[in-house]
Amino acid sequence: MFVALVTGSVVATQKTESMTGHKLLVVEPYRLDEKARDRLVSTGRTFIAVDTLGAGEGQFVLVTQGSSARLTPETKSLPIDAVVIGLVDSVRIGGKNVFSRNAQES
Amino acid sequence: MRLGQTIGTVTLVEPHPTVRGGVFRVLIPLSAADLAAGDPAAGDFGRSAAEPLIAWDDLGAGDDQLVAFSEGGEAAQPFRPHDKPIDAFVAAIIDRLDLPARKTT
Amino acid sequence: MQLANVLGTVTATVKHSSLAGAKLLVVQPLMADRTKADGDPQLAIDTVAAGVGDLVMITSDGRLLRDILKSDATPARYSVVALVDDVTDFSARKQAPSR
Repeated sequence: MFVALVTGSVVATQKTESMTGHKLLVVEPYRLDEKARDRLVSTGRTFIAVDTLGAGEGQFVLVTQGSSARLTPETKSLPIDAVVIGLVDSVRIGGKNVFSRNAQES
Repeated sequence: MRLGQTIGTVTLVEPHPTVRGGVFRVLIPLSAADLAAGDPAAGDFGRSAAEPLIAWDDLGAGDDQLVAFSEGGEAAQPFRPHDKPIDAFVAAIIDRLDLPARKTT
Repeated sequence: MQLANVLGTVTATVKHSSLAGAKLLVVQPLMADRTKADGDPQLAIDTVAAGVGDLVMITSDGRLLRDILKSDATPARYSVVALVDDVTDFSARKQAPSR
């Protein structure tokens, strides 16, 4: 899994039938700063993930990739390879918060 | 399964119902050079620049432990016959790593 | 299947139940030159009593693993299925430009 920032959503009128009614988010994977390991930084990559939890723009989410993305009741029969499995509350590295949802909101 | 160093934890405020109660650990995957740089099984890690990943842990690994982790479809196998959307899974906490080549280099 | 070098062994007390009793090897999958590493080392279940320094063949076949480990729910992927004595390089293939 990876932690990612929700940066947008995809609207597609014409899509394969099974995809109808599913919310598609554009997410940007974040990684721990390579040197200091004290904050999350963007990897610059981007994915589209199915969201069943109501994640919104600016929120950090946990994303599962690959065939495992289909292992939820909602995504079982979808032709997808990424799904949001949670909204991130905190990321702690070596006992210190490098991301906290509360700090982000205040 | 690859070898990795546990460095932290991700907590969720709203988990998908299938992953409720799960512990999500932050891991750094280790290359051959990373493994040879210290004695990872004893908590002596080099400083890998590899991109961390998040793995489900029900073995109770602490920080700075050497673990084996599975990726992809295999990571969801242990939950069978139940389905869980998990793509990385801590499969073992390594007590001892014997790399004979390390001693001569 | 892929060629790999056996780098070492690991022992683990706390592990997934399917791995109980299995011998875990640290193997390094190899590039075409059989020297350079293809990705990170992997842990593989040994079936041939391979030792450190051996050139081996690994497979990701799930059925073999399920048989060896007697488990339908193992998180393992690779097993070591052969000790490689020799690899013949066809000269034409060797001289072909890299893709």
